[in-house]
Amino acid sequence: MTPSNDFIPEITIFTCIYCGYMAADTAGSLRLEYPSNIKIVRLPCTGKTDIQYLLNAFEEGADGVYIVACSLGNCHHEHGNERGLARMKRTREILERIGLEPERLDMFFVSGGMGATFAKVAHEMNERIQQLGPNPLKQAPPAPSPPQPPPAPS
Amino acid sequence: MRQLAMPGDVTEKPNSVLIIGGGVGGMRAAIDLAEAGIHTYLLETSPSLGGRVAQLGFMFPTHDCVLCRGTSDHGFGCTRPSISPVLMDQNRHPNITVLTSTDLVSFEGEAGDFKVGLRVRPQLVDPQLCINCGRCAEVCPEIRPSGFQLGLSIRKAIDKSAPRSVPNTYYLLEKVERCDECRKCVEVCPTDAIDLGAQPHELEIHVGAVILAMGFQPFDPDEMPELGYGRIPNVITSMQYERLASRSGPTEGIVSRISDGKMPKRIAWLQCVGSRDQLNPYCSSICCMYATKEAMLAKQRIPEVECHIFTMDERAFSKEYNHYYVKARDDLGIRYTRCRISAVDEDPATGEVILRYPTGRMHDEAAPGQGAIQEDHFDLLVLAVGVRPPAKAVEIARVLGIELNEYGFCQTDKFSPLDTSRPGVFVCGAFASPKEIAETILDASGAAAEAMRIMRDNLGKRTFSRSRPFLTVDGAPTERVISAQPPAIAIALCGCAGEISNVVDLQAVADYAAALPKVEKVEILPLACFQAGQERLIELITQGRTNRLVIGACSHRTHEPLFQRLMTEAGLNPYLVEMVNLREHCAWVHPNDPTGATHKACELIRMGVERVRHSQPIYKQERQPVRAALVIGGGLSGMTTALAIADAGYDVHLVEKSEELGGNLRHIYYAAEGDNPQRLLRDLVNRILGHERITLYLRSQVTRHTGSVGDFRATIRSELADGTHREHEIRHSVVTLATGGLEAGGNQYLLGQDPRVLRQSEMEDILAHQPERAARLRSVVMIQCVEPEGGVKYCSRICCTNTIKNVLRLKMLSPDCQVVILYKNVITYGFREKYYLEARRRGALFVRYTDSDPPKVSLEPRGARQALVVSVNEHIFGKTLVFEPDLLALSMSIQPSPDTAKLAEMLGLPLSPEGFFLEAHLKMRPMEFADDGIFLAGMAHYPKFIEECITNALACAGRSLTFLSRPSIQLGGVVAEVDSERCTGCLTCIRTCPFSIPEMRDDRNGIGDLGGAAWIDPARCHGCGTCTAECPANAIQLLHYRDEQIQVGLGHWQVPLQQLSVD
Repeated sequence: MTPSNDFIPEITIFTCIYCGYMAADTAGSLRLEYPSNIKIVRLPCTGKTDIQYLLNAFEEGADGVYIVACSLGNCHHEHGNERGLARMKRTREILERIGLEPERLDMFFVSGGMGATFAKVAHEMNERIQQLGPNPLKQAPPAPSPPQPPPAPS
Repeated sequence: MRQLAMPGDVTEKPNSVLIIGGGVGGMRAAIDLAEAGIHTYLLETSPSLGGRVAQLGFMFPTHDCVLCRGTSDHGFGCTRPSISPVLMDQNRHPNITVLTSTDLVSFEGEAGDFKVGLRVRPQLVDPQLCINCGRCAEVCPEIRPSGFQLGLSIRKAIDKSAPRSVPNTYYLLEKVERCDECRKCVEVCPTDAIDLGAQPHELEIHVGAVILAMGFQPFDPDEMPELGYGRIPNVITSMQYERLASRSGPTEGIVSRISDGKMPKRIAWLQCVGSRDQLNPYCSSICCMYATKEAMLAKQRIPEVECHIFTMDERAFSKEYNHYYVKARDDLGIRYTRCRISAVDEDPATGEVILRYPTGRMHDEAAPGQGAIQEDHFDLLVLAVGVRPPAKAVEIARVLGIELNEYGFCQTDKFSPLDTSRPGVFVCGAFASPKEIAETILDASGAAAEAMRIMRDNLGKRTFSRSRPFLTVDGAPTERVISAQPPAIAIALCGCAGEISNVVDLQAVADYAAALPKVEKVEILPLACFQAGQERLIELITQGRTNRLVIGACSHRTHEPLFQRLMTEAGLNPYLVEMVNLREHCAWVHPNDPTGATHKACELIRMGVERVRHSQPIYKQERQPVRAALVIGGGLSGMTTALAIADAGYDVHLVEKSEELGGNLRHIYYAAEGDNPQRLLRDLVNRILGHERITLYLRSQVTRHTGSVGDFRATIRSELADGTHREHEIRHSVVTLATGGLEAGGNQYLLGQDPRVLRQSEMEDILAHQPERAARLRSVVMIQCVEPEGGVKYCSRICCTNTIKNVLRLKMLSPDCQVVILYKNVITYGFREKYYLEARRRGALFVRYTDSDPPKVSLEPRGARQALVVSVNEHIFGKTLVFEPDLLALSMSIQPSPDTAKLAEMLGLPLSPEGFFLEAHLKMRPMEFADDGIFLAGMAHYPKFIEECITNALACAGRSLTFLSRPSIQLGGVVAEVDSERCTGCLTCIRTCPFSIPEMRDDRNGIGDLGGAAWIDPARCHGCGTCTAECPANAIQLLHYRDEQIQVGLGHWQVPLQQLSVD
């Protein structure tokens, strides 16, 4: 069985609340279909993308992770997306060092009007991750019971 | 006729302002007035706001996507955007009433008390009921060209103007006879929002002032059939190119040929189509720059594309524009040829456009003779169409009783540039003269200031609060204290009239969600945003111990303010609600995968529940603003700002370095338009000296400036007559920098070495005060663009018109005098083109020189005397022209005043490459800085004409009044907080912050109780979170986006798919 046959990747994406999230909304308004196996975590700006968040996502079993930001030069916070890009690149180095394919992580720059590009990227990432197969860090699926709550904030 | 219900107190005198035109200028003026506590009607004749700017793709010279910065929709969430989200449907400013599809019918009364009759055309879809599902457009059989996409794509007769229009609703473009038979849209509408029988109705409103922001109409190239528009498919207008290049355009920004959709390899632009010709003898001001922008965008998108611009002059006359133009020309290889093409042909075989033009007319080329005619083929020809008066200018001018000028634009006066001929009616933006976005924004805020002057008794009266994430009038119930309670979460799942529930199995989601920890109850609502849904939601969150809410519905971008408001009404902090997008992100994009969509919905709801569990209430700080303003600089701009603020009833501290008010205005004796600047100067000085609210500090400088908006502190150091100094400590809410600029000195072209070589200001002095000497002049040469050695090259904007003004005066005093102007580009933008034409008509000779071959000036003996000899290579005849003028006048560049850099350092403000203050955004925030409460006026921003300085100064006053008049300013909210005890003082946050906000404070102790820790001023933080992600000690958290709120189920999908797929 090749991984791409019935392996459905679990993909997490981080977007800023400006262009990234808006592009997803535009894709919705235009009814552009893309795979349903991606979930969006919204951040105020992709400059808020902590390396820890990206690593946590992989550690917790995401097969692929990507960031959708405003176009370069058009960040609402001057250059937050460039900071996000630098951290994405650094995280890719870390992934490589621990033996995970760096291509599981990527970053895309869109404008809020680019719904079609948002959908296209979702397809592309889905295919890419299907080729790469499941995240080896992923544990066996838990029993169908409600998840354990994470520790309460200190 | 029915009276429009006006919220708030109804006094005898109207407390509203009417703004006509809902483009970028109208929206900006409405926001300023609303913020100053004055009610505003924003009238727009089309069904949605945004105007021309909403159709642009990118702005020059920043290449910002206009989408984000320019329209109300896209300002969403920005802490300080230019057009903030206060116009969005669910987040409307309480002081703004938007009237779309509305026309002006009648107008009567006087300034302060107008009665206005309006007619509202029915849109046939009730915006209150439309849920944006688009089913009507899906079934509508009537296809129309899309107006928003300028015919480059199609729409249905019933549709939205753009995917994200404001107001966000569908409408019927025009009802045709078939509609009544068809009625498919009516049948399919799930909320019964469509009424094909709706009739227009009339309204009467009562306002104190009117602002016209009607924009412009692009020139219609059908009037010039020789250019092939409409005949040759690959000839398009620049507005159509904007749509092609826009990421919200029909191709998402891929520029392609109209005839076959192919990627163009060669694109040409023709400048001045509908400008600077017999029909429209004025310059449209914006086309040179936008054509350069469009060519640069093509270069960025299409590899190896060739761009060729055919132009008369290259008018790049504002801040950073020259740099932009040089970059386009020298770095990107965009070709500029100086010529005017009068015929366009098509190659029928290839669809290519054929142009013929002379060679040897590129930048810096000086080929002699007419140049050989070359024939060239292009894939796409873009006509850079000019700016015409708005379509309804004549009709509206008639109703309002205002005058139009000779070109059909609004008639204004140089010294009152925002006044129309009727008192109480003001104008802003391109309706006054062709202009770009930044100037329109300045105009708009300035016109708002003029309206505030009339309405000053109402300033700050209609209070509103930003204490919550949405705007509100006060009066919400007291908030429940929930800090001691464990989270108890209610979940509401909205079916959106089938839009969600037809795809997502909401019952399955509800069953799953009910088992999640801390979830008290789950309920499915048919339509959460409708009245019944809202009432049920309030019941849900007020019953029992529920203290948090998750809503699975549509986008937080459109509806979060609504649900946050409901939380407040139910006595809960608005940050305790979490929206999960089951519509745009789920049902709408996975219609053929209901299992996947349901699975995803469960996962998203689970993450929402986890996130809201960790949400904490957030409160903003309240600050009572000090009711005083500081204005630095006592020239034209500073005096204008000070007077406008003082007239509105607030104290002003006006600081002037020299011993006299007036600045550069003292040395301007006449204007091209004929007005007398000295009269303006006397008037301003007298009003300043006599004003009880203005404290004037002459021979004074600001030596210290601290604090933030609403609470600044400054030290003013004054030199007394006996040479001693005295210091004054002041407090103020806002500060305006109006420190001005200076005509440069230097020793170019024998300046300072021969008395016959003078600066243009000295020439003006001779013309004004020694007319008999001027009358004897027989030959005068003037050289433009004289710049100090080694500095940044930029266009000083005003010199060409200033030179031409002197030429006309000289020709009047000495009609036979030979006047030769040596220039690079003649920058007489807007209606100033008239004086350029007039100077040429009177016989002044304009000779172009190039950067690489500048004129030469020398002294040569002629018997006993030394002749002043000017020689220049004339590039059309290929000959060297030699003059021996009586006088040589030099147009020196305008530099920022010498203290600019020092002041910038004191206030922590950036400078532009030219050395002027650098505003927050060149286009959308032309007079502000990243920090609130600091404004920029006049030549401290860039060289400006008198009327431009006045506009800018009024804009600063208007914006200042929005803070001064507010009972209270709310600060903070979603901002970053440093946990000092974890701070190692590594300075990473200081280096990372895009806005330079974190600072090291020695009154705080860091880790290990060592002295010094980072501190982030909540009044200044923009809340992007960049520092929090970079802090190596994890000492900074962004409120509402704390780590524990984000790190919830980032990876593996915890909802088992098989459980859902049984069905």
